[in-house]
Amino acid sequence: MAMVNRRVNLNRIAVHAALIFYTLIATCPIALVLVNSMKSRNAIFGNPLSLPTPATFDLVGYQQVLEKADFLLYFGNSLVVTVVSLALVLVTGAMAAWALGEYRFKGNTVVALYMAVGIMVPIRLGTVSILKMIVGMGLINSLTALILVYTAMGLPLAILILGEFMAQIPRDLREAARCDGVSEYRIFTAVILPLIRPAVATVAVFTMVPIWNDLWFPLILASGDGKQTITLGAQQFIGQYVTNWNAVLAALSLAIAPILVLYVVFSRHLVRGLTMGAVK
Amino acid sequence: MADVSLRNIKKAYGKVEVLHGITLDVKDGEFVVFVGPSGCGKSTALRIIAGLEEITSGELYIGGKLVNEIPPAERGIAMVFQSYALYPHMTVYKNMAFGLKFAKTNKEDADRRVREAAEILKLTPYLDRKPRDLSGGQRQRVAIGRAIVREPAVFLFDEPLSNLDAALRINTRIEIAKLHRTLKATTIYVTHDQVEAMTLATKIVVMNQGRVEQVGGPLELYHHPRNQFVAGFIGSPKMNFVPGRITAIDARGVTVEYGEAKPVVVPVGGDGAKPGDTVSLGIRPEHMGEGSAGSVGFTGTIEAVELLGEASYLYLRRNDGTPLTVRSPGSTIAEAGATITASCNADAIHLFDEEGNAFSRRNAAVAA
Amino acid sequence: MTSIAMAADTSVGRRKWPTHIVVFLAPAFLVYTVFSIYPLIDTIRLSLYTADDTGRQSFIGLGNFVTLLTDPNWSKPFWNAFRNNMIFFAIHMLVQTSLGLALAALLSLPRLKGASIYRTLLFLPTMLSVVIIGFVWQLILSPLWGIAKSLLASIGLGTLFAPWLGQEGTALITVSLISVWQFVGIPMILIYAALINIPDDLIDAATVDGAPPFYVFWAIRLPLVYPTLGVVSILTFVGNFNAFDLIYAMKGAQAGPNLATDILGTFFYRTFFGYQLQTGNPTMGAAVATMMLLIILIGVLFYLFGVQRKLQHHLA
Repeated sequence: MAMVNRRVNLNRIAVHAALIFYTLIATCPIALVLVNSMKSRNAIFGNPLSLPTPATFDLVGYQQVLEKADFLLYFGNSLVVTVVSLALVLVTGAMAAWALGEYRFKGNTVVALYMAVGIMVPIRLGTVSILKMIVGMGLINSLTALILVYTAMGLPLAILILGEFMAQIPRDLREAARCDGVSEYRIFTAVILPLIRPAVATVAVFTMVPIWNDLWFPLILASGDGKQTITLGAQQFIGQYVTNWNAVLAALSLAIAPILVLYVVFSRHLVRGLTMGAVK
Repeated sequence: MADVSLRNIKKAYGKVEVLHGITLDVKDGEFVVFVGPSGCGKSTALRIIAGLEEITSGELYIGGKLVNEIPPAERGIAMVFQSYALYPHMTVYKNMAFGLKFAKTNKEDADRRVREAAEILKLTPYLDRKPRDLSGGQRQRVAIGRAIVREPAVFLFDEPLSNLDAALRINTRIEIAKLHRTLKATTIYVTHDQVEAMTLATKIVVMNQGRVEQVGGPLELYHHPRNQFVAGFIGSPKMNFVPGRITAIDARGVTVEYGEAKPVVVPVGGDGAKPGDTVSLGIRPEHMGEGSAGSVGFTGTIEAVELLGEASYLYLRRNDGTPLTVRSPGSTIAEAGATITASCNADAIHLFDEEGNAFSRRNAAVAA
Repeated sequence: MTSIAMAADTSVGRRKWPTHIVVFLAPAFLVYTVFSIYPLIDTIRLSLYTADDTGRQSFIGLGNFVTLLTDPNWSKPFWNAFRNNMIFFAIHMLVQTSLGLALAALLSLPRLKGASIYRTLLFLPTMLSVVIIGFVWQLILSPLWGIAKSLLASIGLGTLFAPWLGQEGTALITVSLISVWQFVGIPMILIYAALINIPDDLIDAATVDGAPPFYVFWAIRLPLVYPTLGVVSILTFVGNFNAFDLIYAMKGAQAGPNLATDILGTFFYRTFFGYQLQTGNPTMGAAVATMMLLIILIGVLFYLFGVQRKLQHHLA
């Protein structure tokens, strides 16, 4: 769009100013934590806004965290739960989305609606029964319990996203395979699965982030015996050592770091996935 | 109504120059069509006139006023978009009345103008509908109506017919031509379709790669193309180009050896060429015929025959590999595979030099 | 479907449910039913029972709900939690939606330099866990560390500072704003996606028609993103009435000071599991969960049949 040159510059400056202002609000708290986690206790209090200098640089907080709490274990737990849940959601979700989208059978719409209910109705409300079931199955305090619950939680949205994506695969591809006499299972594994790879990123974002950051289910289903996820572990640690600022800041930084790295690496996919998949 | 003048308009996106200095005049009341292949810069030129793109250098005058820095709303222009660009959440009436709100037209005036335009375009029964309830042709008319109500000095059309099917395209083309006769408005129209250009324009601007190749009336461009690009672009099917070599230049014209039995004398001016120069003969398929009725002959094998009913097109391949398209009457019995003779008259031939520039033709063909 | 596809369906025999369909659907269907749907139904069932000290359950119909809504021991904290949840939601709707809309509008300006960098950075808080967010803000707002106080002082508003998190009057608003701070990225991205989907031609047409830039936004772009705003609203509603993590991380299950930050999620947690002096009560917990379910369902139904219908009529 053309505007008079002078007008354009003024408007643009205002826009950037507003955006920079809010970006600072969005990122400063996190930056503060990361920066201060590497300073000595005095420097944290004395000069909270400054960067660590050679004099104030101190990793004592990290030392304490790594000694007193098994953050590596918690990280591993989170990783296992998140990745396995994602894998299960993707596989079972893709199969279900495929069946619902491709085949016309009696009750197709009903089943589709049934599966979609979970998007709007939060699974947490059934926790009373879930806990009873998990205890009854002997799975209390296990990662398996978390995986099962998170898979159920992630399926409705995954099916929706994958379904919409599959609808865009040209009919001709499927028909051609059928003409060749290929079985339905092979069509699914050999033709459909490879083609939905782009949608996997979107599903991954919507599934993994809530699982990784969740506090509720780890708190209720797997809160001890070294089965804590990193979110729960960080919360417990902070609760315990709340006056030890170095350790607390270090714990927070350790919990932030993996997400930060992942985010920086995948941010483009993430945003693209959200802008494509979410606009229904 | 107003004139539009472009003076050495250049447009660059960063380092890439898209328009290389366009200079032309559009007189009040003219219907000027910018035509050319994709990427030639015609839409960019139109958007610059509209004020939707900034001018890198050069001057633009509308109605005698320099408008480089003036925003679109104040230039006295109205634009019809290829995609119609109707506001989906507003009724047809509101779509057409939208622009009048900002021109500070009073309510009665605005209402009158909208209803008049709706009458002209036969949209009155649809005034309360939303765009999604209309067909493609109706939506296009709403887009045109939106432009009419603003009573602009200049109408701008950006490939308005491209999204319509063939039959509708012809009908709407006629409507636009009628509209121009009624409103007598200065119109600048962009298309890639040379048939639209030929049928609608009082003046055609042929563009290629950011430059103006030629400006002139439809028949002038048809009979006197200034270079090979214009000659090949105007007229369908495309003009035939046969390579040759000059053997002599004299008062009769330029003698060209072109790979057949005898050379041809083309009645054009010498224009500083000399014997031995490489040239191209240009002959339109409709000026060629089967057999030896004309004085200039060609031989070739028929590769394909297209039967269109009112005419047939024979696609020949000569011995040296050059293709030749010949228009034959619908009753032709020519078949693929046969080797035939085709011919034309010498005064139907255009001559182009190595760079593609046309030699000046002597015969007085109809000028636009 | 073409005849070939139909043949594939019925080639296994003229059953209505060919095996491959069942195989494809079964795993997801089972996991979902067992761990999502059945627990919900069972919770509703459980809410109709009460348990004595030995754990034996007996059916009391709507007795739990009556207690919940009328017995002051229960109804006071319940209605307090409900009221707080509504305030929580209201603040999100007002601040989060406007902020998200404003940011999305700015980000979607044509030829904005660094747009992708802004997007990435602005979305960062949403990626982080509430535990982290909660504690980071506790530190920043803590009077001990004094960062917030010094920052405010540097722009001359030092006297405004107070231990907002600790005060009854301001705690809920503070926590709500922190939640907004974290989640504004989602409406921002969703609205942004909707805005960039508006064809450029429409904006050009409005410009040529003479509309000034703000009017173009107000009359053309905004109405075209109403559906997205609707989706954002219902997602916020469901999320807010389900919220727990942030409050728990910042204030513990007691949701102090003095239940000032107690919302339905924390109330549910305390009721079910017990906390400090209060013993857990599964059946009452189930009743609370059922009430929450009801509230959310009402909201969703209102959205589906009230808001969405109206939006579909309004637009293409």
